[in-house]
Amino acid sequence: MGTMVHTHDNKSMLSQGILIFIYLAILTGLEFFVAVTFDSVPLLIVVALVKAALVIYYYMHVYKLSLESEVDDASYDYKAATNRLGLWLFLISDTFVFAGLMVMRINLLGLSRPELNQFLGLGVTAVLLISSFFMNRGETLMRNGDRQGFLNNTAITFVLGLGFLLGVVFVEWRLAIHEGLTPSSSTAGAAFFMMTGMHAFHVFTGLILLAIVWINGRRGHYDVKNYPVEAAAVYWHFVDVVWIFFYPALYLIGTAVH
Amino acid sequence: MRRHYIIVGILVIVVSILIYVGLDSAGLMPVEASAQAIDVDWMWNLEVIAMSFLFALIVVPLVYSLIVFRRRKGDTTDAEHMEGNTRLEVTWTIVPLFLVVVYAYLGAINLASTQRADPEAMVVRVTGLQWDWSFEYLPVNGVTVVSKELHLPVDKQVLLRMTSNDVIHSFWVPEFRLKQDLVPGRITQLRITPILEGNYKVRCAELCGTSHAFMEKPVIVESQEEFDAWFDSALDEAITASQTPEGRGQALVAANGCGACHSINGAPGIGPTWFALIGRTERLTDGSTVVVDEEYVHESIKAPQAKIVAGFENQLMPTYGFTEEQIADIIAYIKTLR
Amino acid sequence: MRNISPVWKGLLLLVVAGAIGYGIGLGLDALISGSINTSGPVGAAFALLFAVTAFFFGVYGYRGITRGLVYQVIGTLVGALLITGLRALMGLDNIFGVYFFSEPAWVLGGVVGAVSFLFGVGVVHDWMQWVRGIDTPEHHADEPGWQKYFDVSLDHKVIGIQYTITALVLIAIGGTFAMIFRTELAASQLQFLTTTFKLFNQTGPQIYNSLMSLHGIIMIISILLGISGIMNYAVPFLVGAQDMAFPRLNAFAYWVSVPASVLLLMSLVLGGFDTGWTGYPPLSARAPVGMQMFFLGVFTAGWSSILGALNVIATVVRMRTKGMTAMRLPILVWASVATSIIALTATQLIGLSFQLVMFQRLLGMPFFDAAKGGNPVLFQHLFWFYSHPAVYVFVLPGLGVISELLPVFVRKPLFGYRWVAMSSLGIALVGFTVWAHHMFTSGMNEYLRVPFMYSTLLVAVPTGVKFFSWVATLWGGKIETPTPMLFVLGAIIVFLMGGLTGPPNAAIALDLHLHDTYWVVGHFHDTIFGGFVFPFFAAIYYWFPKATGRRMNEFWGKVHFWMMTPSFFVLTLGMMVIGLRGMRRRIVDYDPALGFDLIQLIMTIGGYLIALSVLIFFINLIYSIKHGEKAEGNLWNSRSPEWQVPSPMPVHNYDVPFEVVGEPYDYGLKDSKYIEFTPNGKKHIEFETEPEVQPHRH
Repeated sequence: MGTMVHTHDNKSMLSQGILIFIYLAILTGLEFFVAVTFDSVPLLIVVALVKAALVIYYYMHVYKLSLESEVDDASYDYKAATNRLGLWLFLISDTFVFAGLMVMRINLLGLSRPELNQFLGLGVTAVLLISSFFMNRGETLMRNGDRQGFLNNTAITFVLGLGFLLGVVFVEWRLAIHEGLTPSSSTAGAAFFMMTGMHAFHVFTGLILLAIVWINGRRGHYDVKNYPVEAAAVYWHFVDVVWIFFYPALYLIGTAVH
Repeated sequence: MRRHYIIVGILVIVVSILIYVGLDSAGLMPVEASAQAIDVDWMWNLEVIAMSFLFALIVVPLVYSLIVFRRRKGDTTDAEHMEGNTRLEVTWTIVPLFLVVVYAYLGAINLASTQRADPEAMVVRVTGLQWDWSFEYLPVNGVTVVSKELHLPVDKQVLLRMTSNDVIHSFWVPEFRLKQDLVPGRITQLRITPILEGNYKVRCAELCGTSHAFMEKPVIVESQEEFDAWFDSALDEAITASQTPEGRGQALVAANGCGACHSINGAPGIGPTWFALIGRTERLTDGSTVVVDEEYVHESIKAPQAKIVAGFENQLMPTYGFTEEQIADIIAYIKTLR
Repeated sequence: MRNISPVWKGLLLLVVAGAIGYGIGLGLDALISGSINTSGPVGAAFALLFAVTAFFFGVYGYRGITRGLVYQVIGTLVGALLITGLRALMGLDNIFGVYFFSEPAWVLGGVVGAVSFLFGVGVVHDWMQWVRGIDTPEHHADEPGWQKYFDVSLDHKVIGIQYTITALVLIAIGGTFAMIFRTELAASQLQFLTTTFKLFNQTGPQIYNSLMSLHGIIMIISILLGISGIMNYAVPFLVGAQDMAFPRLNAFAYWVSVPASVLLLMSLVLGGFDTGWTGYPPLSARAPVGMQMFFLGVFTAGWSSILGALNVIATVVRMRTKGMTAMRLPILVWASVATSIIALTATQLIGLSFQLVMFQRLLGMPFFDAAKGGNPVLFQHLFWFYSHPAVYVFVLPGLGVISELLPVFVRKPLFGYRWVAMSSLGIALVGFTVWAHHMFTSGMNEYLRVPFMYSTLLVAVPTGVKFFSWVATLWGGKIETPTPMLFVLGAIIVFLMGGLTGPPNAAIALDLHLHDTYWVVGHFHDTIFGGFVFPFFAAIYYWFPKATGRRMNEFWGKVHFWMMTPSFFVLTLGMMVIGLRGMRRRIVDYDPALGFDLIQLIMTIGGYLIALSVLIFFINLIYSIKHGEKAEGNLWNSRSPEWQVPSPMPVHNYDVPFEVVGEPYDYGLKDSKYIEFTPNGKKHIEFETEPEVQPHRH
């Protein structure tokens, strides 16, 4: 692992992961509660921002960008740090797509939202959140040298991610179309399918990345050169962060219209 | 060095004045035919002053340097080392910043004065369509004058309430200066006070497809008496026309700009001509033929893409929301075209 | 055949394969429609794909770009047939369309074709190896000679030149389109693009609209590729790096632009599109299939821009040599970073806005369909959020080139280095807040207009800083005027004209007159020529010796400059004058009563002279590669690190690493040094010794 600076040992990293997950779960419950009771948009925005900040800091380790890396610029760590910067730049770029979709949603729908199955929405959200927790565990274990733990947790992440994808595309979309909310039925339908579609596409690419690191991990890679694991994990959490904003935007804010 | 500064200073002033006078006397703007045009030209004049001065301010020392500070033959040494001057840098950041704020302020005032509303303004509804204009005056006793020419009385503000039937268009009479887009699904407004009698043209300024270049219609600014006389005769015509199906059909056709694509005299156009349409045999894109009857015309209005005449595959006719009676009126009108 | 030069072989095959493709297209079309349409789109589409592929086959054989194009053709057919088959299975009525395949089939075909190209050309090969857990060498050795430019290379200098050549080819294509419609505009009334004229299912005015729209977008893409060319070529050796941070991503970003260009050309034959490059709905929601090809082409080219920008930022942050601190970076590097910040982020928004229209067309999603509650003006906000900052993407590297070259030819430091460096960032950041000044007439909320006027005018401040610094740099210098310097000076004056004609558009009421007129056309041609075209030529004349070890002919370079510059002034000043007097943008014809005939004729002659001067440039460029005067040393007597090593540049740039020990532009300061070579210093990237590297063949 070279001289990469650790601010936490692995054990406390694992328990920190659990703690963050509990925070996220509570905040998601709070979100849902706010939405079904007094529906305060500012509060929902604040909760989403806090959730995103937790994931970005504790799961995506954004602080690693500012860590001093080794001076030897031919070393693996130096290159990994360069790759890390590249990935974050890509995520910043990608954020503009989702921000654009959000602007589209706000402009077209304002304080109304598509009429959707609330429990299904909460369900897929929970599944994605739990997958992020296992992703974090898997990544931490691999850094700790626990290959089997990494494989197991990544496999769970993959299954949960696949569950989310199928839940959105095959259950939620079907249900919506059945209820008369189709891509062409209204702007609400258009916004819903475009936003969930774009997000689902990213989940799909994230699943491919997970599969790649899982297979290569099984082949015995990543003992030392384990940046790919970190990259797949950061990307997976990014997809989660997007959903942290899309979930309230599509399911919780405002009043439902058909 | 002082000598150079003085020469350049004088040259900058002289050249600025020369450019300004040159641009001013060139008469670059069209005639001012509206009260708003006077405001716009006032702002234009301010901008010309700024452009003339700033152009001279950069180009004069640049050209002067090229002549005076050019490398002499055989000289291979570098110039005097000079890295910068913070006071100068601050000055040429702060002064433009100040000017920007002043110009933006003037621009805002200028905008406000072009938008001044007269509560007595005459309202005309403007509809843009591919590729035609239609002007609708406020109804008198339930009858609406729909015109293909925009007649306006001089010295009276008109409020144009505009919308589009299909794509985005833009209303522009250069002599009036102001321009406003016509957007489907919303009503946009433009206030104009014509001050000079004459014949102008409204031209679509937002690219709207194949015949965008030809989407123009006359705008006639005339005295109040002339306008009243025109309006009365147009109103009489509208009343007469509303009595018969053909008349109503003709009005619908005019209001929806069908003539932009379908000629009524047999001339080729974007769509098939309506001249002697009923009873004609047409070959369709799928190779079959059809004898045009009322039913075919009805279908083609309701579902324009259903049966397309060969040769017009690339021309997508939009769908219009006509009622059954309106379609009957239009067919009655088409029947008269022989 | 063996003795024929590759270019002639390519041209011969181009004609033959074009004819064969045309025949196949006509035959297929006839099978479906039952009639032969010689001016139809299907024959032309096949002719285009076959001819381009065959040309490269003749020049280069079946590898590299040729294989990419073959894959693209096959991929396009596979994607299109897949959808066609699905439609047949679903029992839909219109399995085929006017353009042979239906619209969804062409869209999927376009996507699959573009992706196939990347596999065919081999640019994703290493990544695929990594996915399978196989390591690949850091660098592949390139073929010697010109052949390396037709295949995937990871060397930033090769990629930079590939970008530049592609940009020049696109400039030639876009310029040809401009010449066609400028000829039509030389006199009022329709001369040859008449309503009875038919080509690719389009009448004369429709062809005019398609060519005008394509001229816009092809020039924009060529500019994006051109600035990528400058940045890729120069940034790594300016900061003392051996290569870009991500060489494979760099190659990918370049190669993505090739299928993008093919898609854009396909749009012309598939019915064209009559919306201008802005593609506003609802018009773009009802234009022919060519519209979708345009959207796909821009979307694909956008990735080139985004990934290239990402690479530039990472390179500057991570790959600088020792001592290369922020305030000692060459000014072009600052400009490249500023540009890249915009390109990295805002580009996504044009991609998104076009995607939304694509889906509105494909699935009927009513984003911009007012009848179903959509909002056409929303598109304009999303679109201009990129497309205004985009003009800063276009010009900032050019302004960087001006600042970079001026001190060399004035023999004096750049006046106020810090201010110039910060002004680039300032322009980039303010640039994000000005987009709605394109929409003063659009019917957007009126309270938005005044704030956008303020922010727009604010751009004048950092831009002014640059102009004042340039003039102060010239003042008191010892000015030389070889060809690159002539183009730098031309750039300053032309960009000044563009800059000064900008504020009138920001004054809202005045803009309500100027918007969508030839005034604006003249204004932005000034900004783009001053901010990109002139500096681009300056950069080519300046760095040509670095790339080839020879210099371009001075005499013909000066002819190029003195022919192009006055003609350009005639053209754009003419545009502005007629714009003020009532000439709208994007029209195939104008009212003879406006009295523009004479001035239009003069402008057209000016346009032809520009084309001729660029032709002279091309001949000079090609001739000088082999026959130019040798120039292997520090030709311009520059302090910049790349000129301290022999030309052409060695493969991995600096065999001996250097350290920065002084300021970059201290001309005239005795005994000052910018860099010092440190033979024992650390290289940035360890390279395998050349013989061990596997050649890039698979």
